[in-house]
Amino acid sequence: MSNYIGKTIEELHELLVSKKVTPLELAKEVIEEIKRENTNAIETLAEKEALEFASSLNEVEEDNVFWGIPFVAKDNFATKDILTTASSDILKDYIPCFDATVIAKLKEKKAVLIAKTTLDELAMGGTGTTGHKGITYNPYDPTHTYKIGGSSCGSASIVAQGIVPFSLGSDTGDSVRKPASYAGLVGMKPSWGRISRYGLFPFAPSLDHVAYFTRTVKDAALVLNVLAGEDLSHDATSSINAVPDYLKDLEKSLNGKRIAYIKELNESIKDQPILDGMNKIKDIFVSLGASVEEVSIDLRLLAAIYPTYMIISCAEATSNNANLDGIKFGPRIGEEKTYQEVMMKARTAGFSELIKRRFVIGSYSLFKDNQEELFLRAQKIRRIVVNKVNEILSSYDAIVTPCGGIIRNPFISNDNISDKLDQGTMAIENHLAMGNFAGLPSISIPMGLDDGFPFDVNIMTKAFTESECFNIAYALESKLDLKNIYAKKVGE
Amino acid sequence: MVKYDKALLVKCANNLMFDMSDEQYEVLLKEFDVLTKQMELLGEIDGLENVSPMTFPFDIYTDYLRDDVEEPSLSKDDILRNAKDVVDGQIKLPKVVG
Repeated sequence: MSNYIGKTIEELHELLVSKKVTPLELAKEVIEEIKRENTNAIETLAEKEALEFASSLNEVEEDNVFWGIPFVAKDNFATKDILTTASSDILKDYIPCFDATVIAKLKEKKAVLIAKTTLDELAMGGTGTTGHKGITYNPYDPTHTYKIGGSSCGSASIVAQGIVPFSLGSDTGDSVRKPASYAGLVGMKPSWGRISRYGLFPFAPSLDHVAYFTRTVKDAALVLNVLAGEDLSHDATSSINAVPDYLKDLEKSLNGKRIAYIKELNESIKDQPILDGMNKIKDIFVSLGASVEEVSIDLRLLAAIYPTYMIISCAEATSNNANLDGIKFGPRIGEEKTYQEVMMKARTAGFSELIKRRFVIGSYSLFKDNQEELFLRAQKIRRIVVNKVNEILSSYDAIVTPCGGIIRNPFISNDNISDKLDQGTMAIENHLAMGNFAGLPSISIPMGLDDGFPFDVNIMTKAFTESECFNIAYALESKLDLKNIYAKKVGE
Repeated sequence: MVKYDKALLVKCANNLMFDMSDEQYEVLLKEFDVLTKQMELLGEIDGLENVSPMTFPFDIYTDYLRDDVEEPSLSKDDILRNAKDVVDGQIKLPKVVG
C-alpha cells in the first residue's frame, strides 16, 4: 500500500514542499493504487497526461497548497483531449476540445488530474448503478451488498479509499452529499452560482451545482478557495459576489449560534445510531455555546420534495440533452436513410432505459395539457419549500439534519409501493434537495460509524455564507473523532 | 389527475427521438403509477394558489460587460473530431432534400 494513502491536502503539501516526495512520484503512486482499486470507480485513467503534467512540476511552490496534489474528477466535467463520457454510451467516444472552468482552475494551481470517475449515467440517478460501466461499489462494504449512492459514485469511492485527498462531483438533488454519507466523507455543495458550471454537462441547470468530496472540513475550505468565483468570460452560471478566504472563520467560536433541527425529519429516522448521532451532536453544539431548537415543517411538504425534484429535473433534462443527437457527436449505428433515423437510432442505442424513462417523465410533464398540474405545480411547491427554508434561516444560523434515515442502503431494493408512498421515507431520504431548490451552501460531514459503516450529518446555511457552514462543520468535526476517515483505516 | 397509457408514452418517447422495448414501457407505466400518486400529494400542499412558479433559486446579477477580446477559434479538426461520419471537411448525413 502506498505511503500516501489517507493524506490530506495539507499533509501532502508538507511532503511535497520538504521534497520527501515529488509530484511525479506521487502521481505514479496514485496511478498504481487506482489500477489496484476494485470498486469500479474509474471511467478513464489519464495516466499519460498526469505523468507528463506532474513531471513538469519542478519548482516547489510553498505558498500554493495545490501544487502537485493529485485529484480525480467525475466524468461529466469536460477535460480537454481526455475522454469524457458522463458514463453514457451516447458519449462513449467524446473527447472535449476545452476544459471545464473548475478543471482549468485546478490545472492553473498545478493540481494533477489523475482520472475521470464513474457516475450514474448523465448524473441522473442516486444509486451508483446506472453508468455504462455498471455498478460502482462502496469501499466500506467488501460484500458488495450496500450502495455508495450517486450520482458521484466514483469520485466518492476514490476519496473514501484514501487514494486522493479530494475529488470533483456535481450535485443536482444530493449527488455529492448523499454518497458522502454512505462513504464517510465531507461532501460540500456551495451556493448556486458560487462555482462556475462552465464545462459541467448540464442536467437541470436551475438545480445543478459543482460540488466535491474531501476527508476534512479544512480541505473542503481550501478547495472552495480555488473553485469559487466568477468566470464571466465564459458563462452566466457564476456569481460576481466577492470570494472570501474560506479558512479565515474556520475556528471562530460557535457561542450564541442558533441551530435548527427539523422535528419531522428526526421523527422519520429509521436506524437508531443516526438518532443517537443527532442527539450527540446536539450535546456538542450546546457544549460549544450554541443552542439547538426543533422547528417544524409540514411532513406533506417535506414528502413533496421528491416528486417536485423529479418533475423539475426531468423536464429540464429533457431539453438539455436534446443536443445528444448522434450527428455532431455520438454513435452512428448504420443503415440510416434519413437524419431523423440517425438521431432515433443513436438515442435509442445510446441512452439506457433509466435515462429514457426520466426523459419521458420530463416530456410528459411539459405537455401543454399537463403543465398546470405537473410542471407548474412542481415549480410552485419549490417556491413554498424555499420560502419555508429561508424563513427558518432568518431566525437560525443553520439547519442541521441527518443525510438519510438508514445507514446501509442495499442494492436489492424494496419494490413495495406503500413504502414508496410513505411520507416519512420520502421526506428523510430526499430532503437534501432543499439545498438545490434554494441554492444554499450545504455540507455533509461524518457523524458516526455503525459497525464500521459510516453515516453523515448535513449542515445548511444561508446563501453565500459558506464560511459559516465551514465554521459550524469544523467545530463539530473537531469534537467527533471522525476526521479524515477512510475505508482501510476504519477497517483496521 | 393527469391521464396516461402506453400509446401516449410511446408518443412521448418518439417525440424525444428514441424508442423503448415493450418491457421497458411496462416498467415506465409502473413508474408513472407511483409518480402520479406521489404527485397527488403535491395537490394537498397549502398555499399553492398564492405563489408563482419558481424557475431558479435567486437572481445572479452580472452587471458587467466583458471586453470583446479576439481569441483564436477552434481548428476544423477539433470541431470534426467527434463526428462519426466526415467527408471533405463536413459532417455527412443521409440526403435531406429529395
